[in-house]
Amino acid sequence: MLNTIRYYLRLYLLFTKFAYRTVLQARLGILFFMGAKLVRFAFFFFFILIIFGRKSNFGGYTFNQAILFYLTFNVIDTAAQVLFREVYRFRPMVLSGTFDLILLKPHHPFIRILLGGGDILDLSLLFPYLLLALFFAFKITSITFLSLASYFILIGNGLLIATSFHIIVLALGILTTEVDHTIMIYRDMTIMGRFPFDIYKEPLRGVFTFIIPIGIMMSFPPYALFGLLSPFSYLLSFVISSLLFFGSLKLWDYALKKYQSWGG
Amino acid sequence: MKKYFAIFSLTVKEYFVYRLNFILWRVRVFINLLILFFLWSSVFEKNPQFGSYSKDSMLSYIIYANIISNFVLGTRTPEIAGYINDGKIINDLLKPVSFFTYYFTRDLADKAVNMFFFFFELALIVLLFHPNIHLPKNIFFGIIFLINGVLISYFANLLLSFIGFWTTEVWSPRFLFMMLLFFVTGSYFPLDLLPAPIFYLLSLTPFPYFFYLPSFLSCGFL
Repeated sequence: MLNTIRYYLRLYLLFTKFAYRTVLQARLGILFFMGAKLVRFAFFFFFILIIFGRKSNFGGYTFNQAILFYLTFNVIDTAAQVLFREVYRFRPMVLSGTFDLILLKPHHPFIRILLGGGDILDLSLLFPYLLLALFFAFKITSITFLSLASYFILIGNGLLIATSFHIIVLALGILTTEVDHTIMIYRDMTIMGRFPFDIYKEPLRGVFTFIIPIGIMMSFPPYALFGLLSPFSYLLSFVISSLLFFGSLKLWDYALKKYQSWGG
Repeated sequence: MKKYFAIFSLTVKEYFVYRLNFILWRVRVFINLLILFFLWSSVFEKNPQFGSYSKDSMLSYIIYANIISNFVLGTRTPEIAGYINDGKIINDLLKPVSFFTYYFTRDLADKAVNMFFFFFELALIVLLFHPNIHLPKNIFFGIIFLINGVLISYFANLLLSFIGFWTTEVWSPRFLFMMLLFFVTGSYFPLDLLPAPIFYLLSLTPFPYFFYLPSFLSCGFL
């Protein structure tokens, strides 16, 4: 077991090193991409300032609390980008048939097609986001060790949901050869997580909490930090994320059975 | 003129080659409009006024801005950068049509497809939520500034694609441009909600003229 973990860790580091070297080839690109990501971050920060600054206690949240929702979204979203960037490059593999070569390798295909292209640009943004989130978390006086621990556990749970969504996109990629728009639909839906989920009305809130659990993924960690989650909500979030994860693996198995291979 | 109709028609047909791709693209457009709609509806739930905007005027602005941005921002010019990089641009240059008119016609086809489907999506929003949308006003000036926005968008996109003559890194400058475009053109909120110095500074750039001004005029705010 330990040997297997060590083997996959070595493979992951190797693929990540290759991905970083590829990114570093385009230095001008790094400058523009980082600039664009910072513009996006600054804009939404400003947007929240406009909404929550003008309307004090909009949705029952102060500006600091609203920013914490936004930063938590950034932490989870960026971590998912760092880990699963390779999913965005999956479609050409299916279309050209090079996915066959990955399936033939003596390792699980996820190490290549899911985790095999770490994003260095997002990695460099992840730590500042995390530090900013902690800075705003400590500005809220009611934070305890337990609430902070719950916050990080639910961020982990959010990443499990993100993993499931990326596996679903891969499976749909095999079944339909469509990846680009499905992954962007996922990204578009997560946009809602930039704001506290209680500001949305039903049925949207229910749909995006229980069916497509963006709310659990993005808003539950800050809820836990503010002490707003009941034990039942914790249980519910773990049950839903586990169901989604196992569902995504089932879909992946189904997609592999339907895969027609090179020339199929 | 006949050849440009043929280009228009072929460009429209291209969209229906990959039908699932096309449907998912429209789903994205609809989701984005829906999110914006829900967000602003929530903002106005307990407070009837936000800045100088009532709920009706804000939702009207969001809808007009979305209609106009769908028209103004629809473009096929990003493919030019790729063609420059891999040499396929020569195929376009050899054709017995003006390069600029050729791509403008393709842009018009893109805009037409965008608008056609957007009206169905908008109708769905109206049926579901019954928003109280302002009737269009200042139609003459609205159209003038809409044409202005279309031209600004076309030439800005061409400029970005021509970067391909100097470098192969053509996607990253466009990504930065798209981010700027997304945020400082007024797609999320009317730009006059910004602090006055930032608003005046922005009005010295081309960004508010893409679709903020035509939307603002159409809502009758000016």
